[in-house]
Amino acid sequence: MNNLSRRSFVSFALASTSLLAMPAISTGSARPKVVVVGGGAGGATAARYIAKDSKGAIDVTLIEASKHYYTCFYSNLYLGGFRDYDSIGHSYDNLSANHGVNVVHDWAISVDSSARKVRLGSGATVSYDRLVLSPGIDIKYDSIDGYSVEAQTKMPHAWKSGTQVKVLRDQVLNMPKGGTFAMVPPPNPYRCPPGPYERISMVAHILKEKNPTAKIVVIDPKNKFSKQGLFMAGWEKHYPGMVEWIDNDTHGGIKNVNPETMEIETDLDTFKADVACVVPAQRAGAIAMNAGVTDGDWSPIVPASMQTKADGNIYVLGDASVASAMPKSGFSANSQAKVAANHIRGELTDSRVFPAKFSNTCWSLVATNDGIKVGANYKAGEEKIEVVDKFVSKTDEGNAKRKKTYEESIGWYNGITTDMFS
Amino acid sequence: MVNIVFKFFIAISCLLIFRGLLAEPLLDGADFDYGEYLSGQCLTCHRNSSDEGIPAINGAEALYIAKKLILYKNKELENEVMQLVAGALDEEQIASLAIYFNSLEK
Ligand SMILES: Cc1cc2nc3c(=O)[nH]c(=O)nc-3n(C[C@H](O)[C@H](O)[C@H](O)COP(=O)(O)OP(=O)(O)OC[C@H]3O[C@@H](n4cnc5c(N)ncnc54)[C@H](O)[C@@H]3O)c2cc1C
Repeated sequence: MNNLSRRSFVSFALASTSLLAMPAISTGSARPKVVVVGGGAGGATAARYIAKDSKGAIDVTLIEASKHYYTCFYSNLYLGGFRDYDSIGHSYDNLSANHGVNVVHDWAISVDSSARKVRLGSGATVSYDRLVLSPGIDIKYDSIDGYSVEAQTKMPHAWKSGTQVKVLRDQVLNMPKGGTFAMVPPPNPYRCPPGPYERISMVAHILKEKNPTAKIVVIDPKNKFSKQGLFMAGWEKHYPGMVEWIDNDTHGGIKNVNPETMEIETDLDTFKADVACVVPAQRAGAIAMNAGVTDGDWSPIVPASMQTKADGNIYVLGDASVASAMPKSGFSANSQAKVAANHIRGELTDSRVFPAKFSNTCWSLVATNDGIKVGANYKAGEEKIEVVDKFVSKTDEGNAKRKKTYEESIGWYNGITTDMFS
Repeated sequence: MVNIVFKFFIAISCLLIFRGLLAEPLLDGADFDYGEYLSGQCLTCHRNSSDEGIPAINGAEALYIAKKLILYKNKELENEVMQLVAGALDEEQIASLAIYFNSLEK
């Protein structure tokens, strides 16, 4: 909407209270209002818990751009052929049917934090008493020279919910015999620390079967990564000689990528790929920036409540927040959502507020029936979310245990998606 | 059914006597609302409709839940995630979770 049409909208809205072309969305009740932007791991959970636990005392509106949420979690298993694509898609129908959440499929364009209003793509506005933002990440396309929005089809990042992972799977399946798959993982901090390495495992799993002379080269902007020992031992065991991981000190830095020639240039060498997955640096979803609750690329939060440090009426969950020791994961976002939901209910309905408790476990699949995991629980420190205790799978554990870990991850996937969408 | 329940109580009583916990009933200090809040942490993984990969716990006996959590807390039962979660729970929290999950429909 340009300035002129916005002004005419305002005067029209003032002139007519009964017939609005772009109505303010309202249920006409005096109940306190919570607006949640983003229906992913953080937002869907927050909307569901606030509506469910307040038993109708709070009016909850969820603004989500997409009609269906395709989870990034388990998208690597789709890539590897362990899941079909439909099985990672979820609808929002139950949130309205079972809990009375008003689900609005639109983009939140801007936040007016002093008027406590969110403006939508349709031009409508929604007012709030408390606002929850869980918009996930935006990709910093300009963080790698030569990468761009257009480059995504040639060198997909497939790091956001959606169909890019299908493009990537097709490319891997159609790779020339004995070809090279290149992976450029993102620099820290990024969504899902073990994700790039699970992805490499899943690509290796396909190639071992369909294209066993193919090679995988990982050109990492980092010198170490999550569950490194476990992944590397797994690659050696299941895909011997196939995966070459090159750390930043060895290649000296990624200078640019060229989607036309499929080249990745580093100080050390220029790598030519047949298929390349390039995952650039990331930042909080744009709406968090727009709301003025970010500092740099992410939103600092108060650990005890997930309120932003900038505005006590606005909470930021999941990947977009600075959750200190907690990794940017779906599990973390879901865990943070419950802390925020409890706090918001307390603020709006005087229900009891309990001390924040956070947890996370990230399962990864290395090969058929070879699951590994890393987890921790956390507490709210004054300034930061702090680790209480943690664990990680062992390199020498037996096959039976690894199979059990994989089966447990299926339970978790079904659990968290039920916890978000049922 | 009665038989199973009876055996269950015998088993629990033996356990309690054995561990010298009789003087300190496991469900003391249970707080339903607190249990509801804490259950959020469990429901990321446990769901009602299926035991696939992770067991369903809704409607389970309160004492059974409390006992299991204590065994995980003491690392007498294996599973890193459960040891971690239970390890961070105190007695009041365990009791609260136990009565809350017991109240849910199977
Ligand atoms: C390959 C891969 C594997 C992963 N595996 C795991 C795993 O095994 N376990 C795990 O825990 N995590 C995993 N993750 C991480 C996990 O997907 C994210 O951490 C999690 O989704 C973050 O939740 P969120 O709520 O912050 O954002 P999201 O889940 O991304 O949700 C954000 C939602 O907001 C919507 N949105 C954004 N802006 C707007 C706007 N302005 N208006 C309206 N709607 C908007 C988007 O459409 C989206 O649906 C993985 C990620 C990747 C990429």
